[in-house]
Amino acid sequence: MSGISFENVTRVFTRDGKDFLTLDDVSLSVAEKEFVAIVGPSGCGKTTCLRMAAGFDAPTRGAVRVGGETVAGPGPDRAVVFQQFALFPWKSVADNIALGLRNKRLSRGEIDAKTADAIKLMGLAGYETAFPHQLSGGMQQRVAIARAYVLEPQVLLMDEPFGALDAQTRVVMQEELVRIARLNPRTVLFITHAVEEAVYLADRVVIMTRRPGRIKEIIDVASIRRTQAWDRHANVEDVMDLESFVHLRSHIWRSLREEKGGSER
Amino acid sequence: MTRRTGVGLGTIVVLALAWYVLTTLTGAISGGRFPSPQELWLALRQALTTGYADATLLVHALHSLRLVVSGFLVAIAVGVPLGLLMGWSRRAEALINPVFLLIRPIPPLAWIPLAILWLGLGDGAKIMVIFFAAFVPSVINTATGVRNIEPAMIEAAQMLGTRRVRFVLEVLFPAALPMIFTGLRLSLQASWTTLVAAELVGALAGLGRVLNVAQQDIFPAMILVGMLAVSILGWGTTRILAMAEGRVMPWLNVEGGR
Amino acid sequence: MAVERLLLGIAGFSAFVCVWSALSVTGAVPRQFLPAPWDVVSRALALTAQPFAGSTLQGHLASSLQRFCYGYLLAAAIGIPLGLAMGWYRWLDNVVSPIFDGLRFVAPIAWVPFAALWFGTGIGGPIMIIFSGAFPPCLINAYRGARFVDRRLIEAAQMLGTGSFRTLTEVLLPACVPSIVAGLRVSAGLGWQSLIGAELIVASAGVGYMMVQGQSNVSTPTVMAGMIAIGIVGFLIDVLLRQTESMINRRRGLA
Repeated sequence: MSGISFENVTRVFTRDGKDFLTLDDVSLSVAEKEFVAIVGPSGCGKTTCLRMAAGFDAPTRGAVRVGGETVAGPGPDRAVVFQQFALFPWKSVADNIALGLRNKRLSRGEIDAKTADAIKLMGLAGYETAFPHQLSGGMQQRVAIARAYVLEPQVLLMDEPFGALDAQTRVVMQEELVRIARLNPRTVLFITHAVEEAVYLADRVVIMTRRPGRIKEIIDVASIRRTQAWDRHANVEDVMDLESFVHLRSHIWRSLREEKGGSER
Repeated sequence: MTRRTGVGLGTIVVLALAWYVLTTLTGAISGGRFPSPQELWLALRQALTTGYADATLLVHALHSLRLVVSGFLVAIAVGVPLGLLMGWSRRAEALINPVFLLIRPIPPLAWIPLAILWLGLGDGAKIMVIFFAAFVPSVINTATGVRNIEPAMIEAAQMLGTRRVRFVLEVLFPAALPMIFTGLRLSLQASWTTLVAAELVGALAGLGRVLNVAQQDIFPAMILVGMLAVSILGWGTTRILAMAEGRVMPWLNVEGGR
Repeated sequence: MAVERLLLGIAGFSAFVCVWSALSVTGAVPRQFLPAPWDVVSRALALTAQPFAGSTLQGHLASSLQRFCYGYLLAAAIGIPLGLAMGWYRWLDNVVSPIFDGLRFVAPIAWVPFAALWFGTGIGGPIMIIFSGAFPPCLINAYRGARFVDRRLIEAAQMLGTGSFRTLTEVLLPACVPSIVAGLRVSAGLGWQSLIGAELIVASAGVGYMMVQGQSNVSTPTVMAGMIAIGIVGFLIDVLLRQTESMINRRRGLA
C-alpha cells in the first residue's frame, strides 16, 4: 500500500505580515501504481502539493500521507525529479545516481549493480564519468530520473520535469517515461502546465482552480485510453491525433481557460 | 603574435630603454632615488651570494614564505569550517556574527602593534597578524558560498536521504567551493601584504627586513630587489593556489564547464 | 525568530566580553598585556583629552583622515580617467595593461621604502602608499565599466544621430557610473588599510603612529584604543560609500 493521500489540506503562506491562502481544503488520493497529473494556472498551488508530499513543506491544516504514514520530512521513499534537474555539478553521472543508494547503506556490489542498471535503463551508457553540465538538458533530466528511479521509491514526485526542455526533447522524454513506467510501474504524482503532456502520460488528470487552489475537476484518462486503445500507437504525435485525445485535451483547455481569465491575460 | 602582446612587449622595451637612458646614460634620475640597471644587477648579486641584512636573499625569501604559508593554513583551517557553520546554521550565525562584526572593520595591519606587544618581534607575532588577515575573508566567503547554494540542491540531497557528515562533505562543501576559493585568493593576498608590513615594522629576518634595512641604508637598488622578491613570491603562491583550484574542482574545467 | 536572533547575538557578544574581562581581571593574562574592556574604553576617553605621541586621539584621527583624503582623491582623479580612456581606446589599453599588470603584484605596502625615500615621512610618503592601495580598484572598475558597456546603448545613440561628444557625456559616462562607484568603495577600504600600514612604518602623526608609540611604551590600552578608532572610522567610511552606491543603483533601477 503505497499511495498518496491529501486529506483536507489547507496551506496558508505568510509574507510581509499578510496571509495568502494557497491551497484550500484539497482532498485527493493517488492509488498504488497510479499516475496522476495535476494541471492548473501558475500560482494555483500545484507545486505546493508536490512539495508537501516530498516533505519540503507542511500543510497548515489537514494531513498528507504516503503509504499510510503522515509525511514528516524529505526522504528516499519519496523520490523527487526537479524541474531544474538539481543534479550535483561536482559529481559524475554515476556518482549522482549512486548517492541515494549509498545513503541506504547498501553493499558496494549492490550499489554498483543497481547504478549500472539505472544507467542502462535511461540510455546513459557511455556517460558514466561525465559531469552533468557536459550533458544536454534532456540527458541531464535522464540522470535525474535515473537518480530517483534507482531508489525504488514508494512514490515518484515529478515537478514539471520537462518544463526546462525544448519541444523536441520533451516529446522524446515523454515517450521514455511511458516506456519506463510500463517496465516498472510506480505511484507517480506529476505536476505540469502542459495539458497534452498530462493527458498523454497520466491515468487521471486533476485540474486545479486559480488561487486559492482547489480541485476543480478530476478526469479519468485511463478508461478512455483503454477503450480507445491508445497504446497501439508508439508515437506521441499519433496518440495526440486521435479524436478521443483531442476531445479530452480541448475539454481540459476550456476548463483551464475559465480559470486563467481575470488578472492573467 | 597578436597585436596586443606586440604592443605590450613594445611598451616594456621602451620602458626598459627609458630606465637605462634616465639613470645610466644621462643621470637624470640620481642613484640615490632609483637604481640604474647595473646597480640593480649588483645588488641582486650581492643579495644572492654574500647576503644582505644578515642572510642571503634565498634565506629571507624562504623565511617569509614559511610564515605566510603557516599563517594562511592556520587561518583557513579555522576559517573555512567556521564559515561552513555560520553559513549553514542561522543560530550559529546569530551567535557569532556580532563578535565578527566587531573584529571585521579592524584592518589586519592594525593588529601589528598588538601582536608585537604580545609576542615580540619573532615569528609568533607575524603568524598572528597573518592569521587575522587571512581569517576574515575565508570565513565571509565560505559562509556566503554556503548561503548561496541553490535550495533545490539541498532539497535533492535531503530527498536522497543524505545525512550529517556526508551532507557536509559531499554537498555543502563542494557547492561552496568556488566561493571558498575566492576567499582563499583574497586571504593569500592579505597574508602577503600583512607579512610585509609586519616585517617592515620590525623583524629579525625576512623580505620585509631586507626592505627595512635597505631603506635605512638608503640603498634603492636593494629596495627594488626586495620588492621584486616579494612580488615574485606573491605571484608564485597565487599561481599555486589557482592550480590547486583546478585540481580540487575538476568539474569546472572540463569541456563545457564554466 | 527575530527575537531569538537578537538574544543569541547578545549572548555571543556578552560571552566574548566576559571571557575577555575574565582573562584580564583574574590575571590569567597579565593585565598589562590584556587590559579589561573598560580599561580600553577609559583609555580611549582619556586620549581624547590628554595628548599622547604629540596629539590627542581626535588630532591623530584628523591627520590620518587628511592623508587618506589626499591619497584617495589622487587615486580617483588619476585612476578613473585613465581606466575610462583604457576602456575606450584599445591602443592605450595595450600600452598600459602590461605595466599595470606587472605592478599589481607589488603589495602596496612594499612601496613604503621608496615612498619614504621619494616623498619623505611627513605627508608625501603616506599619501603615496594610500595611493598605491586605492589606485588599482579605481582603474580596474572604470576600465571594466567602459570596456564592457552595453554595445546596444552606443548603437541606439548612433541610430538617434547623437554626436560623439554627446555620446561620451550622455551615454558612455553615465553607463560606467555604477561600476566606478563600486570601485571607489573597494578602493576606500584598501586605501584606509594601506594608510594604517604607512603610519605604522613611516609617520610622525596619525592613529597608526600613535599605536606604534603605544606599543613601544608597552601601553596596551593605547594600542587597543587605536584599533577601535581605526575600526570605527573604516566602518563609517564603508557605510557612507555603501549608502551612496545603493542610492545611485536604486536611481538606476539596479537594486
